Amino acid sequence: MAISDRDFEQLRDFIYNICGMYFHTTKKYFLESRLTRRMEATATKSCQDYFQLLKSPLGSKELNFLMNEITTNETYFFRNVPQLAALENKLLPELVEIKNKMGFRKLRIWSAASSSGEEAYTMAMILLEKRSTLLKDWIIEIVGTDINETVVAQAKEGIYNAYSVRNIPDAYKHKYIREDNGKFILSPEVKKFVTFNKLNLYEDSKMIFMKSFDFIFCANVLIYFDTASKSKVVQHFYNNLQPYGYFFVGQSESLHGVNDKFKTVHFPGGFGYKK
Amino acid sequence: MDKNQMLERAEIVVGAVDDLPTIPIVATKVLLLLDDPEVSIDEIADLMLTDQVMTARVMKLLNSPVYKPTQEISSLKRALVYLGLRHIRELALTTSVINAFDDTSGALELNFFWEHSFGVGMVSKIIAQKIGYRDFEKAYIAGIIHDLGEVFLSTFLRDPFTEVLEHIKIHPVKLVEAEEKLLGTTHCEIGLSMARKWNFPDSYCDVIAYHHNPGQAKVDPVLCAIVNVADLFCTVRGLNFGGREWICFNLCEEEAWTILMDKYPELAQIDVERFCYELDDAIPDVTALVASIFAPS
Repeated sequence: MAISDRDFEQLRDFIYNICGMYFHTTKKYFLESRLTRRMEATATKSCQDYFQLLKSPLGSKELNFLMNEITTNETYFFRNVPQLAALENKLLPELVEIKNKMGFRKLRIWSAASSSGEEAYTMAMILLEKRSTLLKDWIIEIVGTDINETVVAQAKEGIYNAYSVRNIPDAYKHKYIREDNGKFILSPEVKKFVTFNKLNLYEDSKMIFMKSFDFIFCANVLIYFDTASKSKVVQHFYNNLQPYGYFFVGQSESLHGVNDKFKTVHFPGGFGYKK
Repeated sequence: MDKNQMLERAEIVVGAVDDLPTIPIVATKVLLLLDDPEVSIDEIADLMLTDQVMTARVMKLLNSPVYKPTQEISSLKRALVYLGLRHIRELALTTSVINAFDDTSGALELNFFWEHSFGVGMVSKIIAQKIGYRDFEKAYIAGIIHDLGEVFLSTFLRDPFTEVLEHIKIHPVKLVEAEEKLLGTTHCEIGLSMARKWNFPDSYCDVIAYHHNPGQAKVDPVLCAIVNVADLFCTVRGLNFGGREWICFNLCEEEAWTILMDKYPELAQIDVERFCYELDDAIPDVTALVASIFAPS
């Protein structure tokens, strides 16, 4: 079903204001197809009817269904290339320089909604490449957490399908991935840098122990939280970062109005939040 | 390096070029005519119509989504009425500048250059509107012409400039810093020397010279700051000379942002993230405009 530009903009603004996720015009077609599914499921006849439903008291539940449809929960290696490029070319070397001066050669990274582990392992591969240069003699700790135990178990296993590994640059693939009968098995060399645990981001008593990270990633999760919960969780991330650390959200996400302590640092194709 | 030394060097470099593009005769006449306080729109329209290329480009510029007229403007005279006399000078300048540099043999692809320039023009105008800077059409033109020096370097200092472009591929420094280091002058001073030769109005000369350090601007630091911020935004949202320039910035550490915040404190409320995402959406309009300007008519 095609939706008018006006309906698209209305829905985009609503999703942005509530969830902090921006829908680019280039994704209008995608939003249309997912919206059609939700309209069928809720038996609403027009885009305006559906919009009224979203704004009604039952709307927050329906919004979660819609967000599930439009974020697709997919994850894969080397997903956010601009973010990784900024980290590798600029933010990491700067941070290493600061810590070298302090004589504190330890790097801690947290993938806070790690799902089946692709993001955490991507970081491990990138850092491994720098073991003989920038990060010589450094201690590297990467932690992945997720609320879902099944995906945590999958992450620990480190076995992936072709879809997950399709974006890995060849040089990395040759080194760190072994193919076996259509399955892609991660090398122990990468796995040893990463630990995975179950964690609920809402649980304050656990969150306060996630200390001293240099980089924290949390993509496509905050969009499901209401503003108050978002602020609380983001404050935890802020507290858990080292003074010069960075926090990253997913592509098209925004923390505007959620936390005014972070400074937005722009780089080509994205931005990160600096403590 | 000292700004004056760089300017001296730029003047020597620009002065040494015998075949520096000239502003078309009609544009020069239009500029002269505009100095006459009694001039009528009809007289200017008649003069401009004698240059078909200029007329076509004026119409394309005005009707582009970047410029956003409320309805399509179909005649040159209506275009001039819509713009008002004070902006005709600027449009004549802009179209002439595009004409002057249509040589495709430089180190930079012209399309990438103009996409960046028109993007900065568009974003300058948006920022000017958001903060209530009185003359946002001026901000638009200032954005378009701010990097003129770049196209000179690309055309007339092709080999050294290619080295500069190679340098920023490997080193994470701004283009302007690499120019200073390798050429002893930058596109700012080169642009200023050209703009002076072409008798550009002072406020545009100011933007060309100081869009990387608006604090030193002599005529209109706010205008320079607007263009500086627009330049930063465009460079991180894909209008970065075809991926050549890689920058990283934090607005609250930028001099330009401080200049704007001092004058327009409400700027603190702007949703910068959303602004970036909306900019992503507007980029296809900019590329389409540039493609249409250079399409054979």
